[in-house]
Amino acid sequence: MKTAIRRQMTIHPEVMDVLNDQIALEMHASASYLAMASWCDQRELLNSKAFFYKQAEEEREHGMKIFNFINDAGGAAISPAIPVVNNDFESLKAIYETSLDQEIGVTQSIYKCFSKARSVNDFASEVFLQWFVNEQVEEEDTVRSILDVFELMGDMPLKMIDERLPTE
Amino acid sequence: MEILHDVTFNIQITKHTFCNYQLKIDDKVMSLTFPQLLQLRNKVQALTSLDSLENIIQNENFVLLFIADRKHLVFLDIPKLIDLKEELGYCFSEF
Repeated sequence: MKTAIRRQMTIHPEVMDVLNDQIALEMHASASYLAMASWCDQRELLNSKAFFYKQAEEEREHGMKIFNFINDAGGAAISPAIPVVNNDFESLKAIYETSLDQEIGVTQSIYKCFSKARSVNDFASEVFLQWFVNEQVEEEDTVRSILDVFELMGDMPLKMIDERLPTE
Repeated sequence: MEILHDVTFNIQITKHTFCNYQLKIDDKVMSLTFPQLLQLRNKVQALTSLDSLENIIQNENFVLLFIADRKHLVFLDIPKLIDLKEELGYCFSEF
């Protein structure tokens, strides 16, 4: 059996497993952002709703990027089950804080995948994951910048804060 | 290692051709393509998580597992399920 599996797939089986877990996490993040977008949409918080709809799309794209990579590398990508998504939020600031925690969770999980790829010498997966490492720095920074606005405008009406949030 | 030549295992995976594998469970021999083998690995990993094993033990105490795109249905008790997990683990450890 030596090398038989390697002839069928480029990706290491253990890396494939953690990347499948990552797909589930990205898809869950996408669903979670959709819930946040809906909360904002119902309250006419236009900038926030646009931000979270965009985030939902982006997270799905990330998941699909990994999904395609696994299959292209000879592995088997698994379409994940999405666990319960919270639709109940107490404030806009709380939503952004949840969003930051979620991004940090995704970053940590990417690091875990990266570390696994490195430990089993799966260089193709390691190089593939480098894009995600950089992307997560950007994602976290975007949410932190928004939370800074909340700090600066803490007592202002919600709609006014929303109008001043960065749109890109 | 010499002794192993005479030992026959209840569960065995062998490579048959480039993209064809044979899975033997007791007397039943099943032919699997590589994607089917990956699918089996995924199913068995899910079934042998701690939560899942506990759930199986507390209920039927066995699993019925479809193999090779539902061509075969096998009955596995817990020891056999764990044997299958080990055999798959061994098969994929030679990466």
